[in-house]
Order: sequence, then structure tokens, then C-alpha cells
Amino acid sequence: MNARLALEKLIVPIGLLLLWEATQRAGVLPTYLSSPSSIVAALVELTESGELPAAMALSLMRAYAGFFIGAGLGVVLGLIAGLSQGVREFIDPLVSFLYPIPKITFLLIFLLIFGLGTPSQIALVALAVFFPVFIPSRYAVQSVNQLYVWSGQNMGAPPMTVFFRVIVPAAAPVLFAGLRVGLAHSFVVLFASELIGGRSGLGFLIVDGEEAVRFDIMFVGIVGFALIGFASDRVLMALRRSALRGQAIGTEEQLV
Amino acid sequence: MAAALRFVRKWYSIPLLLLAWEICVSTGAIESRLLPGLGAVWAALSGEIANGVLVQHAAVTVGRALAGFALAAVVGVPLAAAMSRMPLFGRMFEPMFFFGYPVPKIALFPVFTFIFGIGSLSKTAFAFIECLYPIVVTSYLGIKGIRSRLLWTAQNMGADEITILRRVMLPAALPSIFAGLRIALPLAVVVVVVTEMIGDNQGLGYYVTIWSTRFRFANVYAGIITIGICGFVLDQLLGLFRSAVVKWEKDQPRFTRV
Repeated sequence: MNARLALEKLIVPIGLLLLWEATQRAGVLPTYLSSPSSIVAALVELTESGELPAAMALSLMRAYAGFFIGAGLGVVLGLIAGLSQGVREFIDPLVSFLYPIPKITFLLIFLLIFGLGTPSQIALVALAVFFPVFIPSRYAVQSVNQLYVWSGQNMGAPPMTVFFRVIVPAAAPVLFAGLRVGLAHSFVVLFASELIGGRSGLGFLIVDGEEAVRFDIMFVGIVGFALIGFASDRVLMALRRSALRGQAIGTEEQLV
Repeated sequence: MAAALRFVRKWYSIPLLLLAWEICVSTGAIESRLLPGLGAVWAALSGEIANGVLVQHAAVTVGRALAGFALAAVVGVPLAAAMSRMPLFGRMFEPMFFFGYPVPKIALFPVFTFIFGIGSLSKTAFAFIECLYPIVVTSYLGIKGIRSRLLWTAQNMGADEITILRRVMLPAALPSIFAGLRIALPLAVVVVVVTEMIGDNQGLGYYVTIWSTRFRFANVYAGIITIGICGFVLDQLLGLFRSAVVKWEKDQPRFTRV
């Protein structure tokens, strides 16, 4: 029964891969689509030469550095804005004004301010991550059930205790939803910045492979990007599970 | 008077920011080539709207984004319905969508350009694939989450499958379908702009890139503002559409939007 279930889950991806390989070998597909076997070969080659691990490490470092800066600011400012009406009134109009603008459009301006390479990419990722993290944090604090806060205060908890033991845990599920969206954003922005102004990293590996007509290398870069995006999401979800034991019942994240 | 005061308290930070910008520029505290004065930005914006250049690029971008988005909605919602109503089908496609969800689809950009060329087709295809994931996942979870009691009640009253679909399942799933659409629509705009920035000769992403490389930053900011306006208007329209269709439930705060 379990084997059958596994087969049902795997049949579509495996079938697609086999179809890809077979059509490429039969010469139906154009060469730029490469083939799974040659991609695996290039994957092994680039891993042994150290190019792929180096590029992945560099891209991960940029994405995480930007993510931590942007998400850190987003969570802290979001929590403050959720608590203080004055801060809220100051930040809200600015956020609603800047939020609909895709942050990637600032890429070329950032390139001129921070120079080509890692600093401008980290800054851009941080900017792109800030908004999807800030907005949920701000709403999460506001939507904490007031009864919990009153109960805490009634039992004599000082404001700091109420904040860390009542408000933050109650806001945490929504906070994690924002972090997840922010994490997804960071990879999109990083990819575009490495493709447009980059000289290193996975995005550059993809462009480089494409320009050298080594389409297998291009696909290795794509696979590498998919891997770091997917793995980072899983790590965040694992953190979420351990942080929110018992709070995740019936939510979307439970399934995804 | 009190209303006016409330209005000022609610919005004062935007003029404050603009004032700070203007002061920085006019005192020369920040290199003015990167930060043109507000007057220059306004001149660029109004001029380029009046002569139709920005309008034309905006029409290209919005057209691509909407085409990809609409296609994703037309394909995604029935797919999600089929996945949740046919268990085998659901088991077959669930991994594809749940594992593919956190994968950055943008990495496929070179492949898409090879297949669909550099023009509108590849941009629309990209918007489609980016929108498809949130639409399918949220609709799927929404339809799966319909309480069986509702379906049993309808079956008990002798409703056939089509009637159940139309009168019970669709209304029950609409809020989550719209939640997915609301995540997808801004994504479509972002993805189209990004791909236009990487390579194209029209659209707002192209407009912003070309004026950046020419160091005409008043035009760059005019383009960025136009993109923001397009995204904002599209989102508002979808919100209006939602409240016209889903009359029985108030919209939730949009904190899960991308």
C-alpha cells in the first residue's frame, strides 16, 4: 500500500524526466533544453571542480545576509508599530506608499550607490524582504487577543514579560508566514541582481553557461538555485514547527 | 476640525518624507544625480504620461501581467478543483505543487527565453507559471477545507454533482480562491517587470533600466512610480471584484500578500 502511494506521488515527475531524456535522445528537442543525464554529468563535474559549491555558498551568503537584515528590521519595526500608535501612524502611510513598488526596480540605483557586487545585492534583498515581513508583524501584534494581554497584566506580569511571553508567542504564527514570503522574495531578487549586474554566484553561473553554449551548466545553475530555495524554505518551516509546537494545527503550513 | 486633524495625523509622514527628500537635494547633502529634485521627477512623470510614452510601456506591462494572471486563474482553479475532488489525481499532482512552491521559478528565465523568445510570450508564460502556484495551492486547500457536512446536506437533499459544484462548493471555496488570486496578481506584475529588466525593448521594466543606464534618474523614478500605481490599481480592482462576488464575507487584512 505504501509503495503504491509512493508510486502515485512520484509518477508525474519521473515520467516527465523520462520523457525529457527520451525526446532529447531522439533528437526531437532543441539542444538548448539539454537532457537530465547530461545535467547530472555536469552537476558531478562542477561539484568536483568546486565551482558549484562555491557559487551556491556565495549566493546563499548574499541571500541570507540580506534576509537577516531585512527580516530583522521588519520584525522589530513591525512589533514596535503594532504596539505603539505613534510609530504606526508614522510608518503606515510610508509602507502603503512604497509597498506596491517592486523593489527590484531599485537595482540599478543600488548598483550606483553600493557598487557592483555583493553589497548592492545584499542591500536590495534586505529592502525586498523588509515589506512582506513588516506588514504581517505589525498586524499580528494588533490582532493578539486583548484578553490574553489583560490576563497577563492581571496576574502581575511586568510589560516586558507580557511582551515576550504573551504578545510574541501569540503573534508568532503570522510572523512566520511573513518570514516565509520574505524568504521566497529574497531568492527572486537575488537571482535578478546576479543576472543583471553580477560577476559571481549561481545567477552568473547560469548566464555564463548560457553564453558559453554549455546548456548543461546553465541547468546545473538552475538546479542549484532551486535547491537552495527549497532547502531554505524547509529549514524555516522546521524552525517554525519547533517554535510553534501545538500552534500550527489546521494551517496551510501543516500541509505544505 | 477633528476630522481634519485625524487626516493630518494619519498621513503626515508622506509629505514629511518628501520634504526631507527635497531638503537633501537642494542642500546638496546627497549626490543629486542619483536623487533628482521632486520637481524634476514630477516633470518627467507628467511629461512622459502626457506624450504617451509611459502609458504605452505601462499598457505593455499590465497586458502581459494580466494575460499570464488570467491564464493561471483559468487553468489553476479547475485544476485545484479536480485535485481535491479526485483523490488519485490529487495525489499525483500534490507533490509537484507543494514541492515546487518554494522553488524560485525565476531561475528558469533563460529556458523560457529560449522556448518562447524574448517578447511578450515568454513574459506572459513567466507570469503564468508564477501565478499558477499560489492560485492552485490556496484554492486546493480551500476546496479541501470545505466542511463535509455542507456536501452531505446537499447530497441528502438530492442535489446532483453539478449543482453541488455550483451552489455549494464554489461559494464555499471562493474566499480562498480570491486569497490565492490576491497573492498572485502583484506577483505577476513583479515577475513581468523583472523579466523586462533582464531583457526586452518595451514595458516599464525596460523603461526603468534604459533610463538608469543613461543616468536620467528623474525618468527612472517616474517609471518606478508608474509601476507602483499599476500594481496598486490592479490590486484595488481585484478587491472591488472580490467584494462584488463574495458579498457575505469581509476581506481579511492582506498580510499574507507577496
